[in-house]
Amino acid sequence: MLEQLPQFVVNGIISGGVLALPAIAFSLLYGILRFPNFAIGTYLTAGGFIAFAANATLGLPISVAFLVSMLVTGFLGVGIDQLAFRPMRERRPLTLAIVSIGVSFVLENVVRFIWGNEMRGYQVPVARGMELWGIRIGKEQVVILAVTLLVMALVQLLLKATRLGKAMRAVADNPMLASVKGIDSEQVILKTSYIGAALAGAAGVMVGIDTVVEPLMGFKLILSIFAAAILGGLGSATAALGGAFFVGLAEEVSLIWLPATYKSAIGFGMIVLVLLFRPEGLFRRKG
Amino acid sequence: METKGKGLTRRESLKLIGAAAGVLLTGFPLKVGAQEPIRLGTLCPLTGAGGPYGPQMQQAIVAVVKEINDGGGIHGHPIQLFNEDSQTNPEAAVRATHKLIEVNKVSAVIGTWASAVTMAVAPVCFNSKVFEISVSGADVITDLKDDDYIWRTQPNSVLQAEVHAKFSLQKGWRKLVYMAVQTPYAKTFGDAYAKVAEAGGTKVLDSMIYEADKSSYRSELTKALAGKPDLIMLMGYTPDSIVIFKELFKMDYKGAIQGPTFAINQKLIDTAGAEVAEGAYSLDPATDPDSPAFKNCARLLGTTEVNNYAAQTYDHINLITLAMAQGKVYTGTGIRDNVRKIANPPGAEVGTFQEGMKLIKEGKKINYQGASGAVDFDDKGDILSRPFSYYQVKGGKNVVIGTMK
Repeated sequence: MLEQLPQFVVNGIISGGVLALPAIAFSLLYGILRFPNFAIGTYLTAGGFIAFAANATLGLPISVAFLVSMLVTGFLGVGIDQLAFRPMRERRPLTLAIVSIGVSFVLENVVRFIWGNEMRGYQVPVARGMELWGIRIGKEQVVILAVTLLVMALVQLLLKATRLGKAMRAVADNPMLASVKGIDSEQVILKTSYIGAALAGAAGVMVGIDTVVEPLMGFKLILSIFAAAILGGLGSATAALGGAFFVGLAEEVSLIWLPATYKSAIGFGMIVLVLLFRPEGLFRRKG
Repeated sequence: METKGKGLTRRESLKLIGAAAGVLLTGFPLKVGAQEPIRLGTLCPLTGAGGPYGPQMQQAIVAVVKEINDGGGIHGHPIQLFNEDSQTNPEAAVRATHKLIEVNKVSAVIGTWASAVTMAVAPVCFNSKVFEISVSGADVITDLKDDDYIWRTQPNSVLQAEVHAKFSLQKGWRKLVYMAVQTPYAKTFGDAYAKVAEAGGTKVLDSMIYEADKSSYRSELTKALAGKPDLIMLMGYTPDSIVIFKELFKMDYKGAIQGPTFAINQKLIDTAGAEVAEGAYSLDPATDPDSPAFKNCARLLGTTEVNNYAAQTYDHINLITLAMAQGKVYTGTGIRDNVRKIANPPGAEVGTFQEGMKLIKEGKKINYQGASGAVDFDDKGDILSRPFSYYQVKGGKNVVIGTMK
């Protein structure tokens, strides 16, 4: 089985790529708002379905549907923040985490109400895969990985090189100090909510292209997303990216030795190990 | 997370309101002066993996009951139905079963789909002496210490696995991988399948049980394809099968795929794409379209496109009502004690409640012949035989390529 290792590694990178965007979104939101937003998984589902509406119902090409999905899911994230999280802003993180679970139930059922319980697929022709040096890879997967990397580069650029990015990092670092310096934290929260939800929406389209669009598509991933964000040490986009690839690789490569029924246990196991031995995350210096 | 305070929790009060509404909605059309109603519960998979079948399954039961009530009920007792959705989810199904038994006081729970669901609700039913009849195949279901309250019209998984293995052998595939979604039957089915297949000279390269609800099975499939099989025997449900079909296609797998028709169905073909599903083989316990029972079921549903599970729930409700007519005991125990009397030979063959009722009133012994086959039961509550159909996906449709009686 070991001669198949390169294939498992490639599979892991693809899985990591799918996890990367929502894991970054999770981290960004955590950094600014200081609570784990479990509704990210359902934002992903909503994004997948919004693109489905644009692509299959309105007949737009998938690339346009992808942009529509990011745009609309972003607004959805802002709306939910104003409606559900804003009134609870001063509560403890645990309360907000529970609110986010509630939000995800409601949103998932809104999706079911609008689009039904069925599985759906985009109007994208499924292409036969190619084989390079004995490694099989699908054409969509290459595209998905490329788009993910591009979006991540844009997020990095936004964080490092724009005023908003600086403000976001300042609020994440020290909200008090940031507000003393005249940064309007509500504005930063709004924009971060938009970006976070838009990233999750983008991931929803990727997952939908790769597999199927269905009401539980995001919920199925939430454990892995959470593991990736924790591994990265919560609150840093680059670290979340590293965490995502780490979780993706671990989940896939472990199958060489472990029966497939233990796949979900990998995510849980990694959360436990990291919290025990490196609670600050894999990629952060102590301090 | 639920608040436990004085009085009712929100969930409990919602349940009560729901139950009250249910009683109001279903309870009103009772005829004044009629005898005590017989309460029965349906628990079909209206949503989830069984969603393509559940609505018709429930519809068949509702239609039969309506006709029985219009004809004066069972010895004057009208039937009151309480319909719940199993969501193809064991946890939701158990909640619904508690509601059906404790609030609605039903004497039977009818039409559970998916072995995990049936396994979960079975103890709730037999502990309350409620009759439960399902369309689930896992062997363990009827092996439970259920005091004979748990029945089914679906052949058990060993019987199904043997038919699948014979089909694979007949097709001449020589190297195969068995993949199954984690279910109560995955292991027993795989073992029974492998036994017959290997006895016939086919090599089983790998046997793998995978988790449902994963967004990708790429690495599981990498493992499966390592030995270059010419058949993937896939015992999945539709959602995971769709993902696996797409990924196999992307991995350029050109061998055959065989599975159950409840997974490789039109939903799969439409969602994964006709090109992706093309050529896949599937087998399913079949209906008996020439039987009077099937024709009556088709008439009640207003379509000849009766799915295999709706044919079975049609049989469920007829078996239950005829057993009650026979024994004049309207409890779960009464049903249990009388089903074999009206289902197994000898006796006059009947396919509808009305025919059966007439003969029972004349004091004759009947043998119910169902829409899904002969429905004769052994002492565990398993059926003894069942016709099978073979299908292949051709041009975006499942086409029947053969049957086995």
